[in-house]
Amino acid sequence: MTGQPLPPPDAPIAGQGDAKGTSPGPTTLRPARPRWRETLGLLARNPTAAVASVVLLLIVVLAVFDDTFAPEGANEISVTDRLQSPSWSHPFGTDDLGRDILSRVILGASVSLKVGFLAVGFALVAGTLIGLLAGYYGRWVDDVLMRVMDMLFAFPAVLLAIAVLAVRGPGSGNTALAIGIVYTPIFARVTRASVLGVREEVYVRASRSVGASDWRILTRHILPNAAPPIIVQTSISLAFAVLAEAALSFLGLGTQPPNPSWGLMLAEGRGYIELAWWLAFFPGMAIFLTVLCFNLLGDGLRDALDPRQRTLMAGGGR
Amino acid sequence: MFALVHLVPGDPVRLALGTRFSQESYDALRERSGLDQPLLEQFFGWAGRALSGDLGVSFRSGETVTSQIAERLPATLTLALASILVALVIAIPLGTISALRPRSIIDRIATVISQFGISVPDFWMGIVLILVFAGTLGWLPSGGYVPISEDPGAWLQRLLMPALVTGVVSGSVITRFVRSSVLEALGSDHVRTAQAKGLPTRQVFTWHVLRNALLPLVTVTGVQLAYLLSGVVVVEIVFSWPGLGQLALQAVQARDYPVLQGAILLFALVFLVINLVVDLLYTAIDPRIRR
Amino acid sequence: MRSPRLLALAAAGGLLLTACGGGGESVDTGGGGGGGGGDNVLVAAVSAQPDQFDPHVTSAYPSFQVLENVYDTLAVPDAEDLTMQPSLAESWETSEDGLTWTFTLREGVTFHDGSEFDAADVVYSYNRIIDEELNNAYRFATVTNVEAVDPQTVEITVSQPTPNLPALIGGFKGMAILPEGAAEEYDLTTEAVGTGPFTLESSDASRTELAAYEDYWGGAPSIDGVEFRYITEPAAALTALQNGEVQWTDNVPPQQIESLEGDDAVELATTPSVDYWYMSMNYAREPFGNPQVRQAIATAIDRAAVTEAARFGAAQPNQTAIPEDSFYYYDYAPYDANAQEAQSLIQQAGVQTPLTMGLMVTDEFPETVTAAQVIASQLEPIGITVDVQTVDFATWLDRQAQGDFDAFLLGWLGNIDPFDFYHAQHITDGSSNYQGYSNPEVDRLLDSAATETDEDARKDLYDQAAKLIVDDVSYLYLYNPDVVQAWAPGLSGYEIRADKAINFEGVELP
Repeated sequence: MTGQPLPPPDAPIAGQGDAKGTSPGPTTLRPARPRWRETLGLLARNPTAAVASVVLLLIVVLAVFDDTFAPEGANEISVTDRLQSPSWSHPFGTDDLGRDILSRVILGASVSLKVGFLAVGFALVAGTLIGLLAGYYGRWVDDVLMRVMDMLFAFPAVLLAIAVLAVRGPGSGNTALAIGIVYTPIFARVTRASVLGVREEVYVRASRSVGASDWRILTRHILPNAAPPIIVQTSISLAFAVLAEAALSFLGLGTQPPNPSWGLMLAEGRGYIELAWWLAFFPGMAIFLTVLCFNLLGDGLRDALDPRQRTLMAGGGR
Repeated sequence: MFALVHLVPGDPVRLALGTRFSQESYDALRERSGLDQPLLEQFFGWAGRALSGDLGVSFRSGETVTSQIAERLPATLTLALASILVALVIAIPLGTISALRPRSIIDRIATVISQFGISVPDFWMGIVLILVFAGTLGWLPSGGYVPISEDPGAWLQRLLMPALVTGVVSGSVITRFVRSSVLEALGSDHVRTAQAKGLPTRQVFTWHVLRNALLPLVTVTGVQLAYLLSGVVVVEIVFSWPGLGQLALQAVQARDYPVLQGAILLFALVFLVINLVVDLLYTAIDPRIRR
Repeated sequence: MRSPRLLALAAAGGLLLTACGGGGESVDTGGGGGGGGGDNVLVAAVSAQPDQFDPHVTSAYPSFQVLENVYDTLAVPDAEDLTMQPSLAESWETSEDGLTWTFTLREGVTFHDGSEFDAADVVYSYNRIIDEELNNAYRFATVTNVEAVDPQTVEITVSQPTPNLPALIGGFKGMAILPEGAAEEYDLTTEAVGTGPFTLESSDASRTELAAYEDYWGGAPSIDGVEFRYITEPAAALTALQNGEVQWTDNVPPQQIESLEGDDAVELATTPSVDYWYMSMNYAREPFGNPQVRQAIATAIDRAAVTEAARFGAAQPNQTAIPEDSFYYYDYAPYDANAQEAQSLIQQAGVQTPLTMGLMVTDEFPETVTAAQVIASQLEPIGITVDVQTVDFATWLDRQAQGDFDAFLLGWLGNIDPFDFYHAQHITDGSSNYQGYSNPEVDRLLDSAATETDEDARKDLYDQAAKLIVDDVSYLYLYNPDVVQAWAPGLSGYEIRADKAINFEGVELP
């Protein structure tokens, strides 16, 4: 939400949209499937992406075992110890209620990541389904579904999320839902474009002629072909979702106090910026690092999986 | 959208009255603001008037919605255009150079810079800039807006930081588009043909490469502009910038339905107009589309 | 100023409006503030844009900051002790039975449009509020008639003795006197026609400008005008004050007080306010209807720690509502922040612990969010898990009205008379009694206090009521915050007030 909205639905993305997708070259007779070993190999050869994956892995481990790693609880209030600058006992200092910022940053990781994964999970499932249906059935199904997606799209992303949160009330779960809704059209578009690219391919027509059900064609032939750009999009969307959660919490609409979330901590620290810079600095760094890693991983995945770059460039959503 | 706006829980009447009032006052204000009418009736009434350009009156201020929007348009336009300028100044050279020397040091540095720009939370960057330039160094005011007609110097001082923040973010996005589209244009058949014909590099570059790379650039710039015009809510708040994003957020908070509906209508219009302009530019730039 | 109403759009977080533009031509940006080059305009940094300027309609503090300087009321609170002093009325008296009030109006007062002020304007203004059921109509609850006896005399008839009538009609500028027919003649949401020391010149998304009114009945102000600039971020407002862009601000967060005390570029002032912040528990939600549970909670809460956390000490912990400086202050503090005692109280109450209490707060007033977190940590040891629910103010008000809460934190601001502090909040079915408190003895005491004309007897009645309210924990009182304001050194003629009214009438720039 700090980010920019996404490109308009019908604008070709970097000139590499549907037009090129319809002539997929050498893979004509065989649906492309993600080849995991090969992908990992390619990733390993891309040092930035490899480093990003390792850092992300660390962050995820930290988030999963946050209780073990955090030196203190999230809400151990001690007003007498408030606003202490970073030291050995509090490496990131303490906040206005004397809570240990390092602990809150660690505990905030699980909040931020949970919202991110939930949001992208929602967008992934809903968007892919819509994209598959629209692309495969075409005609009015396509028209109706994609017009709805366009409407969501035309709406400024921040405001859409704010509106969803205003209706549903603030909180982590609803934040995930709001971000998920904002991001659904992207997945729908990416999927649809891939489906259009293979719908009339020989192997699809062949399955159809031998009487395969729509469901079987969609899951066995079309989805695998669309998978690489969706995977790339997922990584990039995670970056966006973490940023969005931070921005919404910053506006007071996302995660609610006293729960630690990076965006919320940043917002709370803003009033103390001159007195105690560490309140806003460390959560900001945490957001930055996580988002950067998701973006770098997304880049690496794109190079490895999607050389034709059908996915949206540039940190989706920004 | 109208339904969504009215679905938001929270009562604008109660909010307008504060916390101490009588039931009679509540009923009277509800009637005056037309909120006692059935929702459908409210909608058709609003839509009908909106068609003739009357967007209604703000619950909060009693001013017309059109005048409230007009009041904030200059600030929003200023910031959006300045940001796009910053973005293009960053993106075009950086993207082109890295495309011309792919995988070189310059390319890698440019990639890193744009990755940073995309990944940094803009409000955080804003806060850090304020801390450094307004706080520690004291070079710039920490926020606010002055119309250029009033004091160009003060206008520029206040514009610099927010424009830099939004410009860097947008610029990072655009850089990557420029890089990939220039790369693609360089690899395209007609550029290779032109090179094979022995045309001077400069001519090939300006005529064939840039022209082709311009298309996606126009698209992405349009998208970024639409986004900036609909208000960069968070940055506006950090820099106390009286733009449309702030107005919309405030309207949500005050449950000021007329203002919110007006703002949404405007954003949809901006989106449509920019799409139209992008389409027109396409026709102008790309001979293949001109029929 | 401010009515004893919660000002919907007070300071609050980053929600509101825009901020300053600095450096307009009328501003001297040199150190130390304005005053140079014949520019005799005070630039004041406030935290938010006024919503509108109709004094009878708005309920927003940012609007009243401006209106305070533009409009007058019949009576006005004294800057020192907030007792009612003559303003547009030179004097008033009550009949023997207390049912008729006669106000003698000031002569030679003119409105900003040049028209003469007389009794017809008072009748018009009050009837506008009453007939149209505007926000403040409740203040005329006992008023049955407003009549002009002659151009200089207004008679107000009440249905029962109303000793606080002057406070009701003079407590804040929401009861301003408009010229007769003003609502038809002017667009009062954007124009102002008062009798006050300044006229409203213009207002937009970044500033509001006032000019001195030469024919002001109290004598023209010495400054040429006032410019209100909206600076949302407190840090930005302070920077603007320090480098001389503005000469006055009330946007000073309590955590800054300490660092500003040694700052020569800033004159800092604090004074105890007449606001109070409290926690309210819903009697209809078990186990909070149980008095022992409420008393246990009242005993567990350490008000000093809450105050320190939420206000950085810029507040006075108080177990009753009325602050120490007031004539009506009642020194009563039965709870002593003792977790063990609280623990045994809750055991006696026979409720199952741990129990969960939803505590509703709003980011409109960030100090409630901070206080709630501290309270949560204080109630944890006695087996109460507090679920802090931060909602926006619109939702907050809805949930309060629907009784959809276990407990909430909020404040009553700008209280002048003890009636404002206690009546509607604690009388059975009172319009602000959202907790559902009902004690016949309290009802009796509040009702007789409302009509008691002898001040000492009245105080005694309110003391008795307050004791019961505190014992029953109808409200759990927390603290009275301080007013914090800062201005340029050398600025004179300004008085910081307990009711947070800001009046620039007598200000002189350095």
